[in-house]
Amino acid sequence: MIRYIIRRLLWGVLLLVIVAALTFVLFRVLPTANPALLRAGRDPQPGLVKEIERLLGLNKSLPVQFWEYMKEIFLHFQFGYSYYSQEGVRSLIGERVSATLSLTVGAAVLWILGGLSVGVISALRRHTLVDRFAMGGALVAISAPEFWLGFVFLLLFASDIGKFKIFPGAGSYVGLTYDPWKWFTSLIMPWVVLASGASAIFARLMRSSLSEAMGEDYIRTARAKGLPERRVVRHGVRAAINPIITLFGLEVGVLLGGALLVESVFNIPGVGELNYKAIGQSDFPVTQGTVLLAAMFIILANIVVDVAYAYLDPRVRYS
Amino acid sequence: MKFTRTMLCVAVGALALALAACGSSESGSSSGSSSSAGANGASAVTPPPGYQSSVDESLSGKRGGTLEVLQEADFEHLDPGISYFALDYEVVFATQRPLYSNKPNQNETVPDMAASAPEVSADGKTITVHLKEGIHFSPPVNREVTAQDVAYAIERGANENVANPYLQSYFASIEGMPQAKGGPVKGIETPNKHEIVFHLTEPKGTFVAEALCLPITAAVPKEYAEKFDKNKPSNYAAYEVATGPYMLKNNAAGKVLGVGYVPGKSATLVRNPNWNAKTDFRPAYLNEINIKIGGTQAVIDRQVLEGSDVVQNEPVAQSAVRLAAEHYKSQLDLSPGGGNRYITLNSKSGPFTNINLRKAVWAALDREALDKVRGGSLVSNVATHFIYPTIPGFTQAGGLAGPKLDYDEHPEGNLAVAEKYMKLAGYPSGKYTGTKTVQVVGASSSPEKEDAEIVNQTLKKLGFNTKLTLVEIATMYAKYCNVPKEEIEVCPTVGWIADFADPQTVLKPTFDGEGIVATGNVNQGQFDDPTINAAMKAAETVNGKENRAKAWGKIDDELVENAAAIPYDWEKAPRLEASDVHGVAMLWNEGAWDYSFTSLK
Amino acid sequence: MSGDGEPLLRVEDLRVEFPGEDGVVHAVDGITYQVHRGRTLGIVGESGSGKTVSSLTTLGLTRRQGARISGRILFDGQDLVTLPEEKLRAIRGNDIAMIFQDPLSSLHPLYRVGKQLSEAVRAHRDVSKTQARARAVELLGLVGIPDPTRRVDEYPHEFSGGMRQRAMIAMALANEPKLLIADEPTTALDVTVQAQILALLERLQSELGMAIVIITHDLGVVAEMADDIAVMYAGRIVETASAARLFAAPQHPYTWGLLKSIPRLDGPREEDLVPIPGMPPSLISRPSGCHFHPRCPYAQPDHARIDPALAPVPEEPSHFAACLLEADVRARLWRQLQAGSTPKQALAEAGLPGAPA
Repeated sequence: MIRYIIRRLLWGVLLLVIVAALTFVLFRVLPTANPALLRAGRDPQPGLVKEIERLLGLNKSLPVQFWEYMKEIFLHFQFGYSYYSQEGVRSLIGERVSATLSLTVGAAVLWILGGLSVGVISALRRHTLVDRFAMGGALVAISAPEFWLGFVFLLLFASDIGKFKIFPGAGSYVGLTYDPWKWFTSLIMPWVVLASGASAIFARLMRSSLSEAMGEDYIRTARAKGLPERRVVRHGVRAAINPIITLFGLEVGVLLGGALLVESVFNIPGVGELNYKAIGQSDFPVTQGTVLLAAMFIILANIVVDVAYAYLDPRVRYS
Repeated sequence: MKFTRTMLCVAVGALALALAACGSSESGSSSGSSSSAGANGASAVTPPPGYQSSVDESLSGKRGGTLEVLQEADFEHLDPGISYFALDYEVVFATQRPLYSNKPNQNETVPDMAASAPEVSADGKTITVHLKEGIHFSPPVNREVTAQDVAYAIERGANENVANPYLQSYFASIEGMPQAKGGPVKGIETPNKHEIVFHLTEPKGTFVAEALCLPITAAVPKEYAEKFDKNKPSNYAAYEVATGPYMLKNNAAGKVLGVGYVPGKSATLVRNPNWNAKTDFRPAYLNEINIKIGGTQAVIDRQVLEGSDVVQNEPVAQSAVRLAAEHYKSQLDLSPGGGNRYITLNSKSGPFTNINLRKAVWAALDREALDKVRGGSLVSNVATHFIYPTIPGFTQAGGLAGPKLDYDEHPEGNLAVAEKYMKLAGYPSGKYTGTKTVQVVGASSSPEKEDAEIVNQTLKKLGFNTKLTLVEIATMYAKYCNVPKEEIEVCPTVGWIADFADPQTVLKPTFDGEGIVATGNVNQGQFDDPTINAAMKAAETVNGKENRAKAWGKIDDELVENAAAIPYDWEKAPRLEASDVHGVAMLWNEGAWDYSFTSLK
Repeated sequence: MSGDGEPLLRVEDLRVEFPGEDGVVHAVDGITYQVHRGRTLGIVGESGSGKTVSSLTTLGLTRRQGARISGRILFDGQDLVTLPEEKLRAIRGNDIAMIFQDPLSSLHPLYRVGKQLSEAVRAHRDVSKTQARARAVELLGLVGIPDPTRRVDEYPHEFSGGMRQRAMIAMALANEPKLLIADEPTTALDVTVQAQILALLERLQSELGMAIVIITHDLGVVAEMADDIAVMYAGRIVETASAARLFAAPQHPYTWGLLKSIPRLDGPREEDLVPIPGMPPSLISRPSGCHFHPRCPYAQPDHARIDPALAPVPEEPSHFAACLLEADVRARLWRQLQAGSTPKQALAEAGLPGAPA
């Protein structure tokens, strides 16, 4: 098992190198604006543009830029400086990662609990009113755009602009160490919004996975053993959960790259927001940094999921 | 939006200042209703009908308190030597004092760091400015501001590490400026501590004097700043000092970055302890301004409408404008001078080299529909020519109604007139029968996207084959519309705001055939009419505000007669404030709230 | 059936129906049988004969599927058909245990074998985890699994097919049940392993004194183990007798068909196997009259009208058959078949009119 993990980690590093290279190529090739032009204002003298290009290091040939870029990242763990704020990309991202983590982890907990419990109940009460209601609700939650949902929540429950002033409004996020209670309450609505779509998908998945599992022979055996029904359901859930774990891990990995829409609506200073703004400004160093971060999380998530899967399903253990 | 930035300050020659002191109202107001007199006799602007601006330059606001500002976008550059965006100006003009500045609701500049109006020599080649005494830098520099500081502020703009974007546009005629690289410039002379003289190579004194209201003229202490200016790029902004009533909060070492400005998160303005109220026309009521960065405009707008001691200071989301107009009318400010929007047609190559085809499209366009998707008459006026309200020359060019031309007279679109011009263009059927596909490149964000669609449909109706591409707005400019080589036939979502309230800054960069460049070309239609080019050249050196307004107003009409581009929107700029804020709007900066004049109720 | 004293399990006129989209499925159509302590009953039939459903119903495992159950199942003085779920649960895995056909799918793939065994124990006994685990090791040893202390921590997929079935049996025996129901316990196993499992069951029965119901389609299996045999067809018992009598003097044409279709090592080489023609009937719309008549080589015209009941065979008090043919006719037919005639020949020999339906 240990060997397997190490091997996967090494492959992961290789993958990151490839992603870094691809990111570099993509951002120079796709039709984005030349950041020097953006910086130069709207009536740019050609000489000025050239000056700015020199300033930002854009005048060197692409291969040279590429080599310097890769060297900085993998040898020095330096990700350059933002073209705009001149702040180091590493610290820019670093101070936002905790917000994104707070948002993602909380939402993940919520959607695992919510999605699974709804899914289990639905599976056990198939075709009843409870089931139809739950699955209908799930469909709505999946279809509702996060942005709109967030806005609706704010208009309903935010203490500054909502109808029922319950939760803190947009922009009230503070770090966990700064004020734990405020941190918690400011994240409740974002958690619910972020979790809604994902938990609905999980609920539906769990419903079908568990329904299938409950029809298996080992469930019949469990009942024949005289186990209480709750235990029998546990047997089913234990089997049904495996495919869902995979999806869960991947989803978390993706979200750790930044849940842009939710971060924007609720004004949570996370990586997603940073990424979005940087893309609009063609701020290559920042976007490259955020993309690499996201890639790292996804790769990690994949590894974790695979290992977890091997742990959870002894039939697929790697030696 | 990134490419719209304003800076309207009307620098006036000595002559014009006399006119103003007489209390004559000027500029784009076509209503002629009351003009309230400000403290120093200058007249306030009454906006044209349809505007609603708190242009009451209140000098009796309540002192104290902290204003919260909710701001979606981050600042681009807070360094006064680089700053060039409307959003940045909101902070820069509260903390820095250029030689001349605008009061919020006036189009005339008043001396700020300068002690009096600029003295332009008879041959127009020398400008002398006397500086006020007793103005000090904020901590940690603390010392008195001198003329050398102003000189350095301008000179550093040529430093590669600073790279001021408009330096060469306005100050190239200063002797030695084109070759400057950040060191002392021959044409900038400081005979003593409170006098600065500019020597020009051409007789452009009036125009350059007007440009002295740009933030690059705000003093920068050389001995403090030059170590930062050595870095590639300069990080002076991370340590910048202030001369205005407020300063970005800093620590004892002068560091602003991470203290008074946390990129992407917040900016904090506190009172500049070394500011002397007696030397400044600004009342500076507020004790502190707390800017919170991030979020989305739609949410921010609502938070402001329902909140307390808070404003937003960016273009308002459309939904919120409507909401405010209906339910929170007193909290909505609609300023004229939001700039114009128009459609450029490539007059260098492709079908639109034919003037009649251009006129046909103009006539066929439903400009009211174009404005409707932007929010309708609440936030826009149908444009009939190019100079927009508050810019001198607006009335001279025809005001709201515009020049009386048949293709311009029907804002809802008129197919009969369009047909007439199609026939004149050589298409007797009234429809284009050529084979060339017309490329249309617009922005993918709303409402630009919708405008681009309407234009596209109109072209199709006239028989054109079109290829519509929608991209992110910065890309639209930088990669397509501003690049002549791309030969884009139609750019339906371009716009312009003047750098300061002189009609030259509205018409020349955008329609001068001699200003067409290979990249970053803002004459997107590549309009190049030798007669008009010559007229512009002549109008550059006209002196006196009235004369300039007349000269450029005439050029505006000529542009319309030549269908240089199709204007469709004169934007009104909305802003929102909480009910307990007494906001004062900067007329000259797209209606942004002026922190130095705003107070809490 | 023979046996001493009160039967341990008595099924009386059990009917189980499943309402379905296409109609009502008559899975079990009025069956009656008994099982005595320490004895083995074999229930034989093709798939779809209702043999599994009847056993599942005994444990109440068809209640969830919307079955309509009528009749009585008497066990230890209680009627299991009407017994409340909680009480029935106390009996499952405790007094009555069941093992199933495919041990790979019937054991939970993600729990260790020891845990599944411990679970069975702790469901009905208040013992600690350690005690339960010790019992699990003991049970594995009991069913002949070598090195049980190591095996107890393994997963089902790490066992061979035969060992898995042994483990299932171990799990069923966890609480020393009075009755063990084995549903096709050897069908999924190799022939050699089959024999081992059957031997194991026999040994356990004599050691623990439990009754066994063994359900199978394979007459060879019941020949070994069963004391009594019930033959089921289309949800009914068509013949029931002691094993000895059933093999010596079977009374029902279906039973004959079953017997004749088994290859025998000691049979003459030229003798053809005689399969039963046709397919088992749909349980939704069964044939009229005698349900077997469409496939019966000896059916007479009025067999399509009259539905035979289980009737005792003359001079054999524990032997019952549900057939409209006369007993002596049947005896004659069987003698012919035993001598090697084909059904057609036997039919002619017996002088019966009519071709097969």
